[in-house]
Amino acid sequence: MNRVVITGIGLASPVGHALDPFWSALTAPHSGVRALTIVPTERLSTRIAAQIDDFDPTAHFEPKFVGQLDRMSQFAVYAARAALRDSGLTLTEENVFETATIIGNGAGGQNTLDDSYCRLYGQNATRLHPLTVPRLMASAAGSQVSIDLGLKGPAWTVTSACASATHAIGQAFHMLRGGQIRFAVTGGTEACLTVGTIKGWEGLRVLTADACRPFSRTRSGIVLGEGAAMFMLERRDAAMKRGARIYAELCGFGMSADAGDLVAADAAGAARAMAGALADAALAPDGIDYVNAHGTGTTLNDKTEADALRRVFGAHADRLAISSSKAVLGHSLGAAGALELAATALAVANQTIPPTANFEEPDPDCGGLDFVPNVARQAPIRHAMSNSFAFGGLNAVLVLGRA
Amino acid sequence: MAHHDAGMGKIERGSRLGGKAPMEVADQVKNVMAKELKLPVEELTDDRLLADVGAESLDVIEIIFALEEKFNIDISLKMNQGGSAGKRAETDLSNFATVGDVCRSVQALVNAKAAK
Repeated sequence: MNRVVITGIGLASPVGHALDPFWSALTAPHSGVRALTIVPTERLSTRIAAQIDDFDPTAHFEPKFVGQLDRMSQFAVYAARAALRDSGLTLTEENVFETATIIGNGAGGQNTLDDSYCRLYGQNATRLHPLTVPRLMASAAGSQVSIDLGLKGPAWTVTSACASATHAIGQAFHMLRGGQIRFAVTGGTEACLTVGTIKGWEGLRVLTADACRPFSRTRSGIVLGEGAAMFMLERRDAAMKRGARIYAELCGFGMSADAGDLVAADAAGAARAMAGALADAALAPDGIDYVNAHGTGTTLNDKTEADALRRVFGAHADRLAISSSKAVLGHSLGAAGALELAATALAVANQTIPPTANFEEPDPDCGGLDFVPNVARQAPIRHAMSNSFAFGGLNAVLVLGRA
Repeated sequence: MAHHDAGMGKIERGSRLGGKAPMEVADQVKNVMAKELKLPVEELTDDRLLADVGAESLDVIEIIFALEEKFNIDISLKMNQGGSAGKRAETDLSNFATVGDVCRSVQALVNAKAAK
């Protein structure tokens, strides 16, 4: 089996569109959650989001091309270009056929959909833009990445709500490990901060009005976010041969389904995905030093995740450093697993644990674990785990190791 | 969604067509809950806990939605109780524990709307 490494990372995030500002915000920590201004809020009760308000598509795409790209595709193509550039890999007429494009996305082109429906039902428009369908299809971002970079290997989009990106990256990892491809551009993208989508989330009554406080006793729910993160994956021997910088090695991938509640997380299902990732990495639980948790900031998710961590890690859970990046990044749903894997890879590369921001007080329901409150910590990280647990009970977990 | 709304409206219309006096708010609330929970309305006495009548979290938010639609009110309940520690949420689940709690909350909101 081939060993697989991350040699390039690109992203568009609420805390910047390059690795330096992203990592600075995560470690400072400095939250990207702010006043929701990118959509009209008169008909919403939500007033905050981890929104991206400094991304100018015309700075990155030809005017003609901008019209083809839903916002989710703009983030994805921007991040994929950055990941390729960051990797230093040269695409050739030959290797593009051996490069996969596997992208996670949860909600499809919601900006295009919302605009179209607003015209159609709100303004009684008689026709819609001719590119409405190719802009909003769930696979649009993956197709646009493949087209933009000229990647001609296997390409498809993975959708599993909040675990989409993690499932996508895991599939790319396994294809590389199994020798079916030599390179992969993989990650996740999401841009669904529309009035319609936010209204839908308000109906679930899980959004907080003030701040995302994962694992804190005072946590009060989710803050929605948006963005994309993309990775260049390749075989370790090939990367070393060409002298590429390696952020981290992808060591394990585990998946499970709860087959239970539609929205409530299940500790047994989450634990099976974590245990599966450890087994895939041929690691004992005490080989993990850091867990980048799903940590949404809802009462139930965080309690359930803490329970699952205890089940999988036993006594070693007390020695784990655990943090959630969602206080800083918000919850970007189908992109969350990718942005959080970027955080995890940078943690491994820098041997530094990004803290759980906004942490106010421990919750006895979260098992007395070390959630690295508010202050980044330098510590040896041999292996790290990144968790994604989706609505519908779909769980995906990745394990990274040092380069 | 429109289909669902139509269903909600029928309860009220039905009661009027029956020629009876307008139903008390609490009785209307219980009818909505009974329909959502697929239970006989007689089982929904004020002291019953929502959890004990089979209302899981998704049922609770669906009941709230049905009540908001029926009475044209906004029930500001959040599903995350952290607010009770931080005193942040407008209404948390601990104030929404029993069938009677739900009736009283809706009655208060209906009264407030009438007073406007």
